[in-house]
Amino acid sequence: MTPSARNPESVRETFMEYADNRDERLRNQLVEEHLGLAHQLARRFTNRGEPYEDLVQVASIGLVKSVERFDTERGVEFSTFATRTIIGELKRHFRDKGWAIRAPRRIQELYLALGPAMESLTQQLGRPPTVPEIAEMVGASEESVLEALEAGQRYRATSIDVPDRQDGTLSSRLGQVDPGYSATDDRLLLALSLADLPERERTIIELRFVEGLTQSEIAAQVGLSQMHVSRLLAASLAQLRQVFSQSS
Amino acid sequence: MSESVELTIPVQSDLVVLARLTAVTVASRAGFDVEELENLRLAVDELCVSIVNGSSAGRLNLTFVSGDGSVEVDCALDGPTSPPADTDDIYGEHDLSVRILDALVDEHGEDMGDGRRRVWLRKRSIRHEGS
Repeated sequence: MTPSARNPESVRETFMEYADNRDERLRNQLVEEHLGLAHQLARRFTNRGEPYEDLVQVASIGLVKSVERFDTERGVEFSTFATRTIIGELKRHFRDKGWAIRAPRRIQELYLALGPAMESLTQQLGRPPTVPEIAEMVGASEESVLEALEAGQRYRATSIDVPDRQDGTLSSRLGQVDPGYSATDDRLLLALSLADLPERERTIIELRFVEGLTQSEIAAQVGLSQMHVSRLLAASLAQLRQVFSQSS
Repeated sequence: MSESVELTIPVQSDLVVLARLTAVTVASRAGFDVEELENLRLAVDELCVSIVNGSSAGRLNLTFVSGDGSVEVDCALDGPTSPPADTDDIYGEHDLSVRILDALVDEHGEDMGDGRRRVWLRKRSIRHEGS
């Protein structure tokens, strides 16, 4: 059955049934019925140096997540919810992997400095930073920061093996884990500390740091404002930091 | 403080970068954070795709207005264009543009005025909401 052949009410009923029984066959049916959306959105991100097939895979992962998380009570159409989730997945893919090789070296170097600066400021401020805040941290003009962000968004490079200041390749920037959490003791302590957090806060931490969602995406998913998510995230991280500082 | 910037570019995909850069520069001055800028960048791309609708001739007239923590981008096409195809396919190109813009901005719309097709979007910075 093509996506257009099913009426929205019937799709909604299938989602409600899936919410009740989490039957894998229903999940697969819903995913298959909406694969067209994943393909269309993947096509929007082509000509940016990534093979279309890879983008379809990334978009499909977003689609599966959408099907698993969709809540019929929210009053939002599934395709609207899925579009947001799939775009988020594609954005993250490019953010991790993309690099505009044609950019001047100074912009490349600045772009490489932006990632850690943005991560650090996001933790410090409890929200995504603004361009003036980033510019101040990296010691560059706002104009250069905007230029570097734009260069990073063009995704023209076909290879990710571009020399990096850290250890030779940009590949090393993928899937990095905070070294502070690498020790087994730390992992255990973290697991125990997370268990002490209320369920909602635990979910938010997991969505942010395991699934890599942005605060806005988390807000849409848990039904809170981005500001509220930001405050809960900051409070939870502060609580976790406190446990770690006490243990050390 | 309200600011307004106008930009006219030929319908060429490699010049859409100017529209994106202008949008994020105006939005950054209005206090948008990097996540909001990223969404605005994608939305401006989509706005240009949706108005051009396959045409490769003509010029895009863009206006960027900021004020009260929001940015409005208005895009009109001077040149040949075809209206969006009327289709029942929920994943048709026009419908997809609408869904993408729904996901990225607060408001958007389109109309035909003075014989020109016009599309627009408005995005608010979450930090300014309620202020």
